[in-house]
Amino acid sequence: MFANQALRPWWYLLVAVLLALLPWASPNPYYVNLAQEVAILAIAGIGLNILLGLSGQISLGQAGFFAVSAYGSALLSLRLGWPLAASVMLGVIMSGLAGLVVGSIALRARTHYLAMVTLAFGFIVGILAQRWTGFTGGSMGLVGVPPLNWGDPRSAARNFLWTAAALFLAVQITSDFVMQSRSGRVLRTISESESFAATVGINAAAWRVGAFVVSAMLAGLAGALFAHQSGYVSSDAFNLDRSLAMLIVVVVGGLGHRYGPVLGAVFLVAMNQAIADLYTYSNFIFGALLLAVMVFLPDGLSGLGALVRRKRPASLRRNEAGPGAPGVGDIVNLPLIAVARGEPLLQLQQVSKSYFGLAALSDVSMTVRAGTVHALIGPNGAGKSTLINTICGLYRADSGVIRLAEHDITQWPAHRRARLGLARTFQNLQLIGGLSVIENVMLGVPDRGGVVKAFVSWLCGRPFESEQRARARALLGFLGIEGFADVSPGDLSYGHRKLAELARALAGQPQLMLLDEPIAGINEEESRLIAAGIGRLREAGVTILLVEHDMPFVMSVADEITVLDYGQKIAFGAPDAVRANPVVVEAYLGVETA
Amino acid sequence: MIATDLVQVLLSGIALGSVYTLLAMGLFLTYATSRALNFGQGDFLALAAFLGMAGMLAGMPLIAVVIGVAICMAALGMLIERFAVRRIISRSKAGAAHLGWILSTLGFGMMLQNVIALAWGKSRYYSPPLFSSGEKQLVSLFGAGVFLEELAIGAAALVLAGTMYVLLYRSDWGRRVAAVSFDRHTAMLLGIDVKRTVMWSYVVMALLTGAAGLLVGPLSSIQSHMGMLFLLKAFAAISIGGFTNPAGLLIGGIAFGVIESLSNYVDSTFGDLYPFIIVLLFLIVRPMGLFGERKTDVR
Repeated sequence: MFANQALRPWWYLLVAVLLALLPWASPNPYYVNLAQEVAILAIAGIGLNILLGLSGQISLGQAGFFAVSAYGSALLSLRLGWPLAASVMLGVIMSGLAGLVVGSIALRARTHYLAMVTLAFGFIVGILAQRWTGFTGGSMGLVGVPPLNWGDPRSAARNFLWTAAALFLAVQITSDFVMQSRSGRVLRTISESESFAATVGINAAAWRVGAFVVSAMLAGLAGALFAHQSGYVSSDAFNLDRSLAMLIVVVVGGLGHRYGPVLGAVFLVAMNQAIADLYTYSNFIFGALLLAVMVFLPDGLSGLGALVRRKRPASLRRNEAGPGAPGVGDIVNLPLIAVARGEPLLQLQQVSKSYFGLAALSDVSMTVRAGTVHALIGPNGAGKSTLINTICGLYRADSGVIRLAEHDITQWPAHRRARLGLARTFQNLQLIGGLSVIENVMLGVPDRGGVVKAFVSWLCGRPFESEQRARARALLGFLGIEGFADVSPGDLSYGHRKLAELARALAGQPQLMLLDEPIAGINEEESRLIAAGIGRLREAGVTILLVEHDMPFVMSVADEITVLDYGQKIAFGAPDAVRANPVVVEAYLGVETA
Repeated sequence: MIATDLVQVLLSGIALGSVYTLLAMGLFLTYATSRALNFGQGDFLALAAFLGMAGMLAGMPLIAVVIGVAICMAALGMLIERFAVRRIISRSKAGAAHLGWILSTLGFGMMLQNVIALAWGKSRYYSPPLFSSGEKQLVSLFGAGVFLEELAIGAAALVLAGTMYVLLYRSDWGRRVAAVSFDRHTAMLLGIDVKRTVMWSYVVMALLTGAAGLLVGPLSSIQSHMGMLFLLKAFAAISIGGFTNPAGLLIGGIAFGVIESLSNYVDSTFGDLYPFIIVLLFLIVRPMGLFGERKTDVR
């Protein structure tokens, strides 16, 4: 929607003015009421969109969060006489706490388990609201809840609309920023693969719970507004239907799209008006809608627009990179760990790992020295991939010690190891389909905070995250694929995807790179390119541990080689020594070349 | 608690629990073949319960009611697989789209629920007994008078569950289900018609649910929007018993039925609340443990 991002602040200002004029634009007070409903639904919808559309976690119990805050704020203002600003705020915090609890449970459950957990949560809140009548008033309701009218009953509708619309706009702007910035990329990454996310230093668990808390707080904000809209709160408002309505809003609007929730909210409110006479058929209509959208139009109303425009979603469009792109030296030479060249960087001491009693690694000890290219070879099933996964932290070693520089990282989770400067590529490529190539590379750039600064730049229409973007672009240039920066990784050739992964691993300014079969499946020209790249990285001071089957390649790039067979180290040394080692020839080369 | 009461409460729990087991077996089956569950399965149950009630009240013989409900359910099972599941699970898009089947089957269920509400309204109904002559016909069990109807329903559900085990473990169809569940593509290479196997698993799911619906009518009151609650309870049975092992479904279903029955006996106001809390606790303590070890999704 922003052809020119410099117009962004003016655009938001325009929307704010239009929203402010809404009360006069509406032919009668009834429409003001509808607009209030749209604002409330859109706020809750944006929360669910962040949860479901971005982080990929489903919730069938949003009405529960809605209810917690609605009752919280209503009771605080009604019984204790709190001012509305305070009661609403506390209500929202209470919903956030509920989100924290449900989100923590959600960490242990996925997909349909999560659907059931949230469903159960919704039912529990619903039952409490209905039966705990001394507290909530049950279905008879709480009467006399102070309405949000700025103390002016005659302009109540207008004042409420202004409040709700202002809150909606603030939430929408924040959500727009999330979708276009690092947080959005991180959430989309987690939604596609949590294990991969950990290898680029993302604490997936914290982000998942965070998404729950945010979505619960937004549902809570909507609930608090609802409670003070009419001054009457009944438990009937918090049943499963409301959770389903919120789902319909985000699904029909378009999951993961910026304007999905508000489109969906307008649609739902308009639909409810249009079919008011068909009230008895409403579940049928909305059910059919949910089914049809999921089957035929997974991107909802937002997808309709894209069908016409044939463009990538607005949230993925590129931003201009700022000036001052760093050179290759700047890119790779950031000493996170101070280890002199030639000294041990990574040390494994008697590392063992077994699956269900089957030993994949037994007592493997090895040392990777800083500034060298170390190759790990061995026949299929020798335990190479297990070793790589154990080093990067996707698997935990059963016994033994792993050290990176002076740190004992044996018990560290993968994301902490990644932050220490341990980057990797994958045998089966891991590029996030929902992000462009350059955004995938930016995932690898370490997060150094500065969210507020980025937000302000973004809001003012100035380039933001330009440092990360410039670095990513420079890396793509370094690897010769800059031209594909704004393409979806799915549209790249296999070789180019390998290079894009390499760029992402480099973006973290790694001290140690783990390359899992870097040239498998690509042509000779490209593998020469990669071999040359590895050479340049070594010169820049990056240490590389690679797994590869291609012997000429290994012999040409490696300084030292470790050979695994049946989970045990059978040889170690310089390429020539390993090539001449009879044990290796027998176990590996002999079999291969026979 | 009086001992005779206890016998009755336990029997009620077992009868209801065996109904949950049937539902849970349906969930288990479709998950095995398609890695998707029917979130409208509860509404299938409600429809079967209402159809059964209508048939009995119209004076149809039991066998005719059973056949009628079975035909309706089988057709619905085919429909939901064809229109709400097949296209979505074949679309291998990552991100939120892999949850698409939850939403589409939910939508299908909402449509069914609306149909029930149109035909019967939203009020509470009591279904006539299927097996016993009078509503409160008592028989003696362990020295306590218990409702014959509940005894018969529990027995019928257990017989059905037993039949399912025989089918799963002793029939060709059961072997095909196991193969598809293990790996779709390998199954295809072995010459198994995967599409057909998946479709039939939805039909069998619908039939099991239909049976559960017929049996639940006389046990508890029925309502057009009862579906989600029953789906959740069936899922509770699964989370107690485990998803990988069909025998666990029986244990889980009955355990949950008994817990629920006891809880309602002890506290009539909030009795229905505790079982949900227990489910949540179960999901916290043994979450992925139900499927076995958590797998890494990258290589």
